[in-house]
Amino acid sequence: MNRNPRRGTGRVRAVCAAGLLLALASAGAAAELVRLPRGMGGVSDIGAIPCKVFSQMVVVAPQGTRLSLLTWAAGYYSATSGKALFDVVSAANAGGGPPWDFERLTGQFVAYCAANPEAITSEAVKDLGRQLGLEAT
Amino acid sequence: MSTSVNAPLAGKSKLWQPPIVGIVTFVLMFVGVGLAHTMMVLIEHGLGRDTTLAISPLLGFSGIVMLWLGIRSKSENFQTWIGFFGGIIVWMCWVEFFFMWYGRENWGMLPRMDGPDGLRVSGTWPEYMIMGSTVGILLMMLCFYTFDKDTRCNMFLWFQRRLGLQDSLGPSTKTAKDRNYAIITFMETFFVTWFCYAWNLLCFDPALVGDDLLFKGINLASVFVATIWSGYCFTRLIQFKRTSTALRYAIPVGNVMWVNVEILEKFDMVNAIWVDPWSYTLEMSVIFGAFLVLVALLVLAPKKPSEVGGRRRQGASA
Repeated sequence: MNRNPRRGTGRVRAVCAAGLLLALASAGAAAELVRLPRGMGGVSDIGAIPCKVFSQMVVVAPQGTRLSLLTWAAGYYSATSGKALFDVVSAANAGGGPPWDFERLTGQFVAYCAANPEAITSEAVKDLGRQLGLEAT
Repeated sequence: MSTSVNAPLAGKSKLWQPPIVGIVTFVLMFVGVGLAHTMMVLIEHGLGRDTTLAISPLLGFSGIVMLWLGIRSKSENFQTWIGFFGGIIVWMCWVEFFFMWYGRENWGMLPRMDGPDGLRVSGTWPEYMIMGSTVGILLMMLCFYTFDKDTRCNMFLWFQRRLGLQDSLGPSTKTAKDRNYAIITFMETFFVTWFCYAWNLLCFDPALVGDDLLFKGINLASVFVATIWSGYCFTRLIQFKRTSTALRYAIPVGNVMWVNVEILEKFDMVNAIWVDPWSYTLEMSVIFGAFLVLVALLVLAPKKPSEVGGRRRQGASA
């Protein structure tokens, strides 16, 4: 018998808090597992970092940072559309307009992140996907 | 630089006596390290990064032209100044900007990240990651000075004494008169800068020292060593009477002391205003103005005849 309803609510809260702590601990442990070996440059998941960080990385390492996210994007497009990046870009270039080359593709990431510092980089990848005609992204 | 400038005043100035000569040259070199950082930032932003990286080999060649002029000069003082500025220019353009191009553009490297979540861009940018890998080359090059009987650098002479090399190497075949201080100062500036960079970069490398207790311990030990080392050298520097000799000696003293600044900056205990001159325009202008005044004072300071092309003092060394 639960004579004190507040007591029951307290238990629920405690269980929720414990679950949240466990989830956070798991996420922290997972993040620690994929942490780069000491000394290496870059981040372990370039598609999941804040655009603000990406913009800072681009300043001191423009080509490497751009390439890193483009590589992530190639995997993402392949997973969501079944097409390789080369095919996606070829199809987009067939539509006319300025060619989609490395500079233009990765320049979109830079521009998106500069305009949306609070977003995460995967959103910049999705935005580029839409511009390339990948509706599913 | 005229060979007759101030020669009659040599040794008669009441101001340009120990410890003033040593103090002024130390402050000049210490501040100069910070301003060299500022100069790089200003060049990079003034010309644009792409232009800077494209013309840096040519800019660096101007340092070699300066060296050529210095070596042709008969004035030890002029040789020292030109060797110093030539060395700085060549270091900036042929090492820093060139490594920057290789790391940031050509090889597409990524910066080292730090912070609790690994999402903070650390100060170890691609060019510094490359520079850290040159330690072996640096040590190999320093072997030349360690085993060269003609070296006059006090540190290498100390090594030679401790290693029992002086008898084997024999007496130096060069006198002060045979030495050209432009190339000596040029190489000294280059190697001292390289050495101090390598020192800091090795002590900051998480692959070597981690990022916790060992990192703190190693870097605090560095602060201790750098302070003692530069402090000891400073006590010697303030006994110098000749501005040219003091200038050469102050190069390592100022640079080794600067090792502390880099560490304190790494510990977030110092705000590096010298790499952000736009945010600290007034402060950096004042520091730059003070630097120029110190340079002018040293250029105009009375010189001994041996410093301005007259008889060279026997044993004058860097």
